[in-house]
Amino acid sequence: MPLEPFAASKALTFGVELELQLVSLSDLDLTAASPDLLHLLSRKPFPGNVTPEMTESMIEINSSVHSSYLPLLAELLDIRDILVAAGDQLNIGLSGGGTHPYQHWSEQKIFEKPRFRELSSLYGYLAKQFTVFGQHVHIGCTSGDDAMFLLHSLNRYIPHFIALSASSPFVQGHDSHFDSARLNSVFAFPMSGRAPFFLKWDDFANVYFAKMERTGIIKNMKDFYWDVRPKPEYGTIELRVCDTPLTVERAAALAGYLQALCRYLLERREEPPVEDDYLVYNFNRFQACRFGLDGAITHPKTYQTISLREDILSSLRMMEPHAEVLGSLGALRHLSAVAQDGGDATYLRNQYYQQGSAEGMVDAAIRRFRGQR
Amino acid sequence: MPDLLTFLTDLSWPVAICLAWLAGELGQRITGLPRISFYGIVGFILAASQVGVLPPSGPGPILLLADVAFGLILFELGYRINLRWLRNNPWFALASLTEALGTFIAIYFVAGLFGTSTMTALMLAALSMSTSPATVVRVINEMRSSGQVTERVLHLSALNCVMSVFAFNIIVGFWIFRSSADIGDATLNSLVAVLLSALLGAVFGVVVPGVLRHMGSLSKDATVGFALAIILLVSITYATQLSPVVAALTFGLTARHRRIAFSQAQRNFGALGEVLTVLLFVFAASTLDWRSVTDGVWLALTVFLVRLVTKTVGVTVFSELSGISWRKGALTGMALAPVSVFVILLLEHARLRGVNLGEELRAMAGVTLLLEVFGPILIQRALLLARETPES
Repeated sequence: MPLEPFAASKALTFGVELELQLVSLSDLDLTAASPDLLHLLSRKPFPGNVTPEMTESMIEINSSVHSSYLPLLAELLDIRDILVAAGDQLNIGLSGGGTHPYQHWSEQKIFEKPRFRELSSLYGYLAKQFTVFGQHVHIGCTSGDDAMFLLHSLNRYIPHFIALSASSPFVQGHDSHFDSARLNSVFAFPMSGRAPFFLKWDDFANVYFAKMERTGIIKNMKDFYWDVRPKPEYGTIELRVCDTPLTVERAAALAGYLQALCRYLLERREEPPVEDDYLVYNFNRFQACRFGLDGAITHPKTYQTISLREDILSSLRMMEPHAEVLGSLGALRHLSAVAQDGGDATYLRNQYYQQGSAEGMVDAAIRRFRGQR
Repeated sequence: MPDLLTFLTDLSWPVAICLAWLAGELGQRITGLPRISFYGIVGFILAASQVGVLPPSGPGPILLLADVAFGLILFELGYRINLRWLRNNPWFALASLTEALGTFIAIYFVAGLFGTSTMTALMLAALSMSTSPATVVRVINEMRSSGQVTERVLHLSALNCVMSVFAFNIIVGFWIFRSSADIGDATLNSLVAVLLSALLGAVFGVVVPGVLRHMGSLSKDATVGFALAIILLVSITYATQLSPVVAALTFGLTARHRRIAFSQAQRNFGALGEVLTVLLFVFAASTLDWRSVTDGVWLALTVFLVRLVTKTVGVTVFSELSGISWRKGALTGMALAPVSVFVILLLEHARLRGVNLGEELRAMAGVTLLLEVFGPILIQRALLLARETPES
């Protein structure tokens, strides 16, 4: 089946998807609670949408389509409050964070749904160790060509989003010394990484996708686990590198930054993206995962080494005029504070030492998601 | 040949435990039923009053070991209880009260219909409120289940335990004095004993995690440290005639709030817990006598059924209000059936205090035997029907 045509949507509209952890408030481990939680949530209207994920200890929520930051933030806060209240009723804690610090992949249960069963039998243990939690942000594009242009122009900014959202320092009971260990699980999949370099939608759809489909390896866009991927049926591109932050406020701020950045890039004042930009891409991405805001990245055009923190702060300043038009200055301010004071990964490590155990750290993450200090 | 006899008697327990373990492993593999059901069957068959391989039970190291085994399980249960849930979800708290009190009242009247004395009926009713944490925790760990039925059964079982110990102690106190003038005294004594036991457990719950944290490298040492603390705690309750049940449960509850790492791998307290569990279930069943079981068989069957109904109805009526489906509510009630180990240890301790209730509570012997075998199966089926176990 050829790739469907790119459905144009209003430029710079956006929406957020968050994969959340379901934690038993009894022992603070992940718990297979999504069937019970979804049953309870189905009784009342829900803003946005809530769906099951691959394993029963995760759920995915998504916002509606928005055109500015504040209404998105308000909706995410509403969603959070409903989830927290339902969780309290069932003794389930909701939590952000890209990984659960000590869950065992072998304990996870696959949600009863044909697609999940298929994936589970294809990928084996990869599917279960994929119990990691990410934030996806969709940006509406007026055409497939704009989508491909944005997708590749963003290559230089991918480390920003990794470092600002990084919240998965612990894996299987140990400090991985990565700020975002979650992305290491994503890279294990054969179809992960960057998208191939095509700037025209027709080339992408009729040449690349058609060829790939003929190989029989893939059937639709869902089989690609790229860092940014086009979503033709929505008319969007989808940024997939973020860990789920510990708060919905940060999730909304990241979406606000991406929206402003896309507005800036669409003015086409930067040098256009070229294939060679990707020479430094994997290394920069590694720096952001490993060291977070303390990483050092190599500029794809000038090959200069720059501090990731400095690069983020100067880019946030550069986005201010765009944010002013879009009404998202609050988002940029939130992220400047993160870049200066440290992100969720640092917060989690501090909690681990203060509370004296990984359980204490999970407890702190649950309280933070609820909006408590 | 008195020497050979002593020699064989000394061997009886280790042999019985090995046989039970073999029966459990083979039985589980062949039938898919929980291992502890087979431990119970072996213990009952080998008991002094049946085949006679095991010596008659009494105070001694085996009872202490059984109490330690039960203490480990209660600690683990306490460690998994979140009391704040009862406040967050008052309908669930109400369901707990309803099923426990409903069972108490129903069993009291049923026993009355069978012509038992008021005192016996009260004791039967108090014991029937309980749900044995040993069976619940064991089967849940064996099935690796998780979900609302699992969570609720764990919490209800802990609450039932406390309510049952409390009511039973009041009634036994009353029974000792045998006069209504002393009921105030009995209540006070029982209340003080329960509170002191809880206080002792709470002190352990604060001190032990503090010491462990001070020593560092928590994830490795927590299991051994807690296990040793429980042995000490149970021994102290022996010496002071306090309730090991309440003390161990409070220890777990308090320790939980200190958040010392206690990872999944150490569920059941590892191999130590496994070994002691075999002993616990063999011991519990070996205290039962076939004659008393057959004597009270009709009352026992009725108690068994009525209890199943009251517990199931009590939980089910609040299921929608407390946030789960009717189906899961009913399955939760059904999974509350197990009773055996808890009741047997409670009776053994009453006997140590000079209150021999064996004759009075013949019906309970039948109920415990039935549930020693069928309790684990009922909870296992409930968890399977609720689809809370991992895919095989």
